Amino acid sequence: MIDRTIQPPIYETKKPLIIKPVSSQLNNDIPVHFLQAGTQEVTRLEFIFDAGLWYEDKPLQAVLTNAMMQEGSANYSGAQIAEIFDFRGAYIQFVADHHLGTISLISLNKHLHYLLPIVEDLIKRPSFDANEFETLAKRRKQRFLLENEKVKVLCQKKFSEVLFGNDHPYSHTVTVDDFDRLASSDLANFYQRSYHAANCQIMASGNMDVSLLELLNKHFGDLNWGGVKQFQQKRTIQQLQEKQRRVVKNEAIQSAIRVGRLMVKKDHPDYVGLQVLNTVLGGYFSSRLMMNIREEKGYTYGIGSSVMSLNEAGYFVIATETDKKYVEATITEIFLELRKLREELIPEAELSRVCQYLLGEFVRDFDGPFAQAQSFRAVNDFGLGYEFYEQYYQLLKAIKPEDLQLLAQKYFDEDDFYTVIAGA
Amino acid sequence: MVKFYREQLENGLQLIIYPDYSTPMVALDVCYHVGAKNESPERTGFAHLFEHLMFGGTKNIPNYDDALQQAGGENNAYTTNDLTNYYLTVPKENLEIGFWLESDRMLELDFSQEKLDIQKNVVIEEFKQRNLNQPYGDVWPLLRELAYKVHPYQWQTIGKDISHIEDASLQEVKDFFYRFYAPDNAALILSGNVDREECLHLANKWFGSIPNRNVKKAAIPMEPEQANFREMTVERDVPDTALYMAFHMAGRTQREYYICDLISDVLSNGNSSRMYQRLIKEQKLFIELDAYLSGDHDPGLFIVSGKLANGVTIEQAKKAVWIELKSMQQELVPTIELEKVKNKLEANLIYSQMNYLHMAQELANFENIDRAERINEQIDIYRSVASADLLITAQRIFSESNCSQLNYLAKK
Repeated sequence: MIDRTIQPPIYETKKPLIIKPVSSQLNNDIPVHFLQAGTQEVTRLEFIFDAGLWYEDKPLQAVLTNAMMQEGSANYSGAQIAEIFDFRGAYIQFVADHHLGTISLISLNKHLHYLLPIVEDLIKRPSFDANEFETLAKRRKQRFLLENEKVKVLCQKKFSEVLFGNDHPYSHTVTVDDFDRLASSDLANFYQRSYHAANCQIMASGNMDVSLLELLNKHFGDLNWGGVKQFQQKRTIQQLQEKQRRVVKNEAIQSAIRVGRLMVKKDHPDYVGLQVLNTVLGGYFSSRLMMNIREEKGYTYGIGSSVMSLNEAGYFVIATETDKKYVEATITEIFLELRKLREELIPEAELSRVCQYLLGEFVRDFDGPFAQAQSFRAVNDFGLGYEFYEQYYQLLKAIKPEDLQLLAQKYFDEDDFYTVIAGA
Repeated sequence: MVKFYREQLENGLQLIIYPDYSTPMVALDVCYHVGAKNESPERTGFAHLFEHLMFGGTKNIPNYDDALQQAGGENNAYTTNDLTNYYLTVPKENLEIGFWLESDRMLELDFSQEKLDIQKNVVIEEFKQRNLNQPYGDVWPLLRELAYKVHPYQWQTIGKDISHIEDASLQEVKDFFYRFYAPDNAALILSGNVDREECLHLANKWFGSIPNRNVKKAAIPMEPEQANFREMTVERDVPDTALYMAFHMAGRTQREYYICDLISDVLSNGNSSRMYQRLIKEQKLFIELDAYLSGDHDPGLFIVSGKLANGVTIEQAKKAVWIELKSMQQELVPTIELEKVKNKLEANLIYSQMNYLHMAQELANFENIDRAERINEQIDIYRSVASADLLITAQRIFSESNCSQLNYLAKK
């Protein structure tokens, strides 16, 4: 009979195979990164523009300009665009975030030459039809209202406002009236200065066809498709003074809680250590917050923490939803866990478990062509290189409880934390 | 063609091995053939509660997550009306840790009143978070109860009434385990960077000694044919009025299922689909509108659900949906349009093969229906469906008397 109390040996997780992209340029100097990996004949293309909400002069400009590009161009109506992508079983996505506006495409290799002419047209010649815009804005507005019914959304919005102030692109200050204040001409203006070759780079990944560079040059390498590179204005963060905030949402059964503070950016030497510290506290299923507040107390279905890194700022946040009768107790426990990290060394066994877990995650981050491309962008978009990952790997193998306690003392001071509660 | 191997252990455990050497990882997936449909109407939510309890440790391994995380692993689980599925992924070097963990909790759990009480509370908070505190959170319980009078699909996995969870006793929980958690009621799927011989060896080593528990499941009552139109209207504090229509349709093994899937794709898969182009974009009656299958293994539902644009009434919305459904009954879908939805299904199959974990879950799902081999029959069945099939099936299922309609009105 097998002795089940004896655990099979655990082998150290091997460093993943990191595939670096080959970087090239189109004829008009648009940088293209080719990440060749995978076995299926599938390609993912991302057309990335400096067209995020950092560059807006009116709220919603970035998101709606980006979204309107699928609603019609000089040679194709919105319906035709949809029809062609669906017919080829391809997926096209439009996303705008704080800094970037992206159009991404996943397609079987054999269909790319049918699809790129349409991608070219919708990127270079969107029509911004006023009727289409009205329909889109109306639908987005209704969706916005729905999202605003959720306590976690209300909480996150207030939290971003508390951290960044009312006049910062990282603060979610969109109101329902902003949808009515925007005209399709505002989008055309934003489009003109954002979506052109000088603001563009392309990420290609998958088991790509050798002719892809040529194909991209044909559609996007045109020397006449130019413009002036977008200027990234400096914006000042103005944190609010008051450390506790409440958003009232009557009849909410659960309340959402956010506890957090501004923190370092990805290029700071403390960043990787903070990732480990965050994992111990609330970054994985067996984290201290989960063990204490979900598994021991049963106050919540889930609680987690994250270190968020944006180009111009970083922040740290603990997030959960809980019945209103557990709100105070939950917050008390959160601060207790922060204090424990400041005052007590993390036991070796716990730290080893966290580092092993993160090593496994590290391998997952490089598993498959799209994950590899994502990991490239996770450094490249921040002006960092692959040495970031080497340092991370070395740190996972070397970090000591003392190092983490120092970080906790430096960054987990209660007085620096903001608490936002949304609920009844 | 998805190439995989099947083995069977002496205790009845089915073993499915799908090698994919493009990843350094392995997924180990244990699918138990028990879902919310196997619960007693007085004791609902047990399959899902059990999913939580399965992480509470065993006598041999008090902390499931500890060892897994040491091995660089991750795990999770989900419960549906048909099955409970547990999966973990580890770097290939540490595959045996997965076998050790999963076999031990199939053998026996370390039950305690304290652990049960905590997980009951977590599930109750989950219920609040998903059902009570979300706008539209009670739609599915309402619609299920309207559409099913007999079949246990009438309740959700979280349970019909949260008191069933509150009242669950330790003895009931133990009984549930020994009744359903057994090698002869499960399948073990390995996908990713795996070797067939090694998997078979490890499966025998760790799962081979778990006794066959001679699982016998009670027959599930079949839903009788619906005879009359059912309608329910509720008013809630939500931003938009919503309309839900559910039609009974065939089960997962029937050809009609595939035909319904194609009908739903023609109606609403992608921005070029009929309902998106006509009812959202042109007529501006809806801000969201979808047609889809509940995906259940026993005969399930074809659902049309939408949120109405401001100022549109339920009557107008309903009429517009019926025009689209009637058109499916009266006119053949043009060949090129049918080709489009089939192309999309085929492309999706290739995309999904890029993900070893997804493949493990797909194989688990087909094995739960009856046999994993079905995964390779899908495309041929879809390819064999003609426009005339869509027309006949649309005529059969889209009738008022087969429809359950939920009007979910926004309180003004």
